[in-house]
Parts: sequence; structure tokens; C-alpha cells
Amino acid sequence: NITFNKQIMASLTARTVLRTSVRCLHSSNRCAEKALPTSATHATGLERRELDAIAAGNDNPFDMRIIKRLSGATREKPTEIPSAFEKRIMGCVCEEGSTHINWMWLDRGVSKRCECGHWFNLIKSTPVSEM
Amino acid sequence: MMMHCNHPYHLVEKSPWPLTSSLSAMFMTTGLAMWFSVQNSSLLVVGLVSMMFSATQWWRDISREGSLQGLHTFKVTTGLRWGMVLFIVSEVLFFFSFFWAFFHSSLNSTMEIGAQWPPTDTTPFNPFQIPMLNTAILLASGVTVTWAHHAIMENLFSQSCLALLFTVILGVYFSALQGLEYYEASFSIADSVYGSTFFVATGFHGLHVIIGTTFLMMSLVRLLMAHFASNHHMGLEAAIWYWHFVDVVWLFLYTSIYWWGS
Repeated sequence: NITFNKQIMASLTARTVLRTSVRCLHSSNRCAEKALPTSATHATGLERRELDAIAAGNDNPFDMRIIKRLSGATREKPTEIPSAFEKRIMGCVCEEGSTHINWMWLDRGVSKRCECGHWFNLIKSTPVSEM
Repeated sequence: MMMHCNHPYHLVEKSPWPLTSSLSAMFMTTGLAMWFSVQNSSLLVVGLVSMMFSATQWWRDISREGSLQGLHTFKVTTGLRWGMVLFIVSEVLFFFSFFWAFFHSSLNSTMEIGAQWPPTDTTPFNPFQIPMLNTAILLASGVTVTWAHHAIMENLFSQSCLALLFTVILGVYFSALQGLEYYEASFSIADSVYGSTFFVATGFHGLHVIIGTTFLMMSLVRLLMAHFASNHHMGLEAAIWYWHFVDVVWLFLYTSIYWWGS
């Protein structure tokens, strides 16, 4: 039966090819010394700086985490919002569970009051590109 | 690179590849219609060539942005992960429709095909010959690709290259065998709904095997070019997920169309 022989030939060919390649690659020593780096040494650019910042203990390098307001933040003691730039948009969730966010621009050095009474100001933080 | 924003997201630079690939898609679809209707395949060929070109350039840019420019932060790789998962989900739905078509026609066969499945005078493939070998090949390739992944994570470079190479070889072997089967088939796509469901489902699967093999082969090339780190190799992971998906689709194809359907 022709189809049956072809099937045997197909599987035999496969096994021979696989065994030969394993022999060839095992005897070649070229790749043996090469090791894979981890991204600690392999990464570059922004990814690298993010990893370095996290390794240095800063697990919020891009200042993206939600900030809990200081209870009773006043003009003299506002909640401090970090930013790498002169101004940043910030949203105040005035009451817990409120579905409305009060968005506002914050400028560095100028304290601002949300309508709920809390004060905020912008403080300088190092951008990841300069860490 | 000057940073204008302090965020981990990747705002990509202007690129012509989305435009060229969408134009290519248009040429391919229109060209396909032209080929079917007036037997002129030139537009289709133009579309295929320009699509291959656009795809390679686009993915080359992504590799460069990730591995060479370091723009793939943790948030970016998370986004890529989600993207690949959702794409594979869409492909699952795509194949689901072909399986629906198969079961629609085979579970309640009409009079026109002899009220039986396979239809009268249709000789299906023996599921215990080449199709069974193909199943073994894909299952074995699933093992080798998992071997490759673990080797990469455990810092074993030569083993990861070897395992990935074996996976690619098995993928090519599957495609070759399936091509031979197609050549030897006693029925064509035009032979009743049996031919239609068989060749559309297995044909699209074969196309996905070729795509998956190519993806794995490119990952092997990138591995050899030192693009990957042992804990950051998103491209390879995406290729592996895709390959497992291709394998699972074959298992469904084999059990329903080849085995139950005979």
C-alpha cells in the first residue's frame, strides 16, 4: 500500500533529521559559553532607567500611584503632589466613593484649593529619564 | 532621546507602515476578487508582496523600539501581552465559525449528500495515518517550544536555540505533510459541503501554522541576535502562545473533522 510506505518514510526521515541535528549541535561548542543576560544588564533606554529606579527602591518611578490626601490639608500644609514638570493635572475625589472627579491644573510653587476644602501643591520630583 | 513626558507609555513615532499595510490589505482583497472573477492575479500579487514588506518593516521597527531603544517598559509589555491575548481570542472566534459550519452540515446531513457523513462516495482521510502523525508532530512541537521557553528563563542559551530550532523544524514538517495530503486528496474544495468545510477549516489552520512557524523562526533569529533577556522576551512569549493556540485548533480539527467526521 503506497500511502502506508510514505507514512513510514515520513516518520523515519523526521527521526533521522532530529537525531543528526542533536548530534551536530551537541558537538559544536560555539554556543556553549554564551549565556543569556537578564534585563538588569540587557535593558537599555527608558526600560533600563525604570528597572534601575525600582532596584534602587523607588517602586513608583513615574509618580503614577494614587496619592492619599493628608487629612485636614490646609494652605500651610497642603498635600504634596510630585511632578517632573512645572505643571501637572490632578484629580481630587472629594468624598470616598464619589463618582465625580474634580480635575485641576497644579503649578509648581502655587498652592491650590479644591472646592471640598483640601489644599494641594506641586513639588519637584526627578523624571525617570534623568535618574 | 529627549523626554517630554515622565510616563512609562510608548507614544510611537510617525510611521508609514499602518498606511502601507492597510493599502496592501485593500489590494489583496480586491485582487482576490479580480482573480476569482476575471482570472487576473496581478493585483493580488502586488497586494501580497506589499503586505509582506509592510509587515516585516513594521515588526522590525517594533523589535528595534523594544530591544534596541529600550522603550518597552513594564506597562508597555503588559499592553503587548493583552494585545496578543485578545488577538488570539479573536482567532478562536474565527475558527469557531468554521467548526459551526462543519457541525451544521455534518450533524444533520441533507438528502443531497445522501443523508450521511461523510457524504455518499466521499473517501475521507484515514485519521490513523498522516493526520495522526501530524497530531504527534504538533504535540511534540508544543513540548519543544516549552523546553525552549524554560531554557531561556533558566539562562541556557544553546538549549533554547536548539529547542526553538526543533520547534520550527516540526512546524515546517507539519506543513509539508499537510501539503502532501492536500495533493493526494481524493476530493477537492468543490466536492459538496464536505470539501468546503474540510478545506476551509484545515486550509485556514495550515495558514496559521505557516504564520506561527514564521513567528517562531523570527523569534529564533532575534534570540541569536541577542535581542532577548532571560526575563524579558515578550516577542517569543507571544509566538509561543500563538503556537499553542495553533496546536489546540489542530486537536479540535483532528478529533471532529478527521476522526468523528470519518
